[in-house]
Amino acid sequence: MTRRFIRAIILIAGALFIQGCVAPQPPQDLLAPTEAQMKIRSVQTRTFDVKDRQLAMRGVIAVLQDLGFIIERANEAMGLVTAARFAEPNYYDVVSVTVTVRPMAEGRMMIRANAIYNNKPIEDPKVYQNFFAALERSLFAIRE
Amino acid sequence: MRGGAALAGLLALTGCTTQTQPTEMFQLTPESAINRAMQIRMFETPNERDLLSASAAVLQDLGFQIEESVREVGFLRATKERSAREYGQDLTRFTVAIGSAPLALFRSGPIVLPVDLHQKIAATLIARPLNPDASRYEVRIMFYRVVWKGDGVIGQTAIAPGAQYMEMLRDPVLYQTFFAKLSKAVFLEAFTL
Repeated sequence: MTRRFIRAIILIAGALFIQGCVAPQPPQDLLAPTEAQMKIRSVQTRTFDVKDRQLAMRGVIAVLQDLGFIIERANEAMGLVTAARFAEPNYYDVVSVTVTVRPMAEGRMMIRANAIYNNKPIEDPKVYQNFFAALERSLFAIRE
Repeated sequence: MRGGAALAGLLALTGCTTQTQPTEMFQLTPESAINRAMQIRMFETPNERDLLSASAAVLQDLGFQIEESVREVGFLRATKERSAREYGQDLTRFTVAIGSAPLALFRSGPIVLPVDLHQKIAATLIARPLNPDASRYEVRIMFYRVVWKGDGVIGQTAIAPGAQYMEMLRDPVLYQTFFAKLSKAVFLEAFTL
C-alpha cells in the first residue's frame, strides 16, 4: 500500500518536473482582436454632432472636472485628455481615464474613453453610459 | 493580548475595503455642485492668453512650479513640495509611545505611530470660454495633495517609511485666496456662479 503511494507521489513529482522544463509559449492570438475587445470598444466609443474639435475637447475636460477628475495631461493636436481621481472615500485607489477626440467625416466627432481602476480596465458598460450621458449634457451647454 | 492586536488589525483591514463602485465615479453627486461653485469663478475678458498667464503668475506667487501647460485648451498643471510635519501629530506620537511603553513588559510595545513627513501639493487649472464669441471665461482650479508617511513601530513589527495617501483639498479658504489673487492679477472682478 505504502509502496504504491510512494510510487504515485514520484510519478506526480516527475510529471510536474517535466512540465517545469517546457517553456510556456505565448499564445499565437495574444495580439489578435477578440470578440470581447470589439464589444468593449463599441461601449467605449460614441459619436457626437460637434464640428469643432477644440470645442469637443473643452467639453470633455469640463465634464471630467464636474465628475471630480483631476486633469493630468492634454494634447490638443492629437485630441488626447488624461485624467484621474481618487476612489473617495478610499484614498488609496485611483480611477484614471483617457479620452480621445477624433474628427470624422460630415462634421462629427468620435469620442472614446478608456477607464482604469488601479491597474484593472473597467469593462462595465454602465460606467461608460454614465460618462457619455454627462458629456452629452456638457456639449449641449457649451453650444448654447 | 496578541489576539486583541490581531482583531484590531483585522478591523483596520476591513475599514480599508469599503469601496466606491466605479459606476458611481462617473455620476454627478450632490457634492459635485458644491465643489463646482467653490472651484469656479467667471471673468469678463476676451483675452484667454492673458488670463492663463495671469493664472500661471499667481500659481508661481503661491510657490507652485508649472509642470504642464496647453494653451489651446486653456490648461495648466502646477505642483509644490513641502514638509508635512505637524506639531499635533508629533505630540500624539510621543504621548502614545510613552503611554504604550508598559506594554513592552508583554513584548508587544511600545507603539510608535508614523507621522506625515512630506507632501506634494498640486493644482490643475482650466480656462474655458462661456459664450460663442469668447468674451467671458470661467476659470476652474482643483487642489489635491499626496502625503508620504514616516516610519513607526507597533509591538515587534516595524512600519516601513514611505507609505503614501492622497486627498483632494476642499478647504474653501484655499480657493478664495487663489481667486482673490487672480482677480487682482487680471485687474478684474471675479464673478461667482
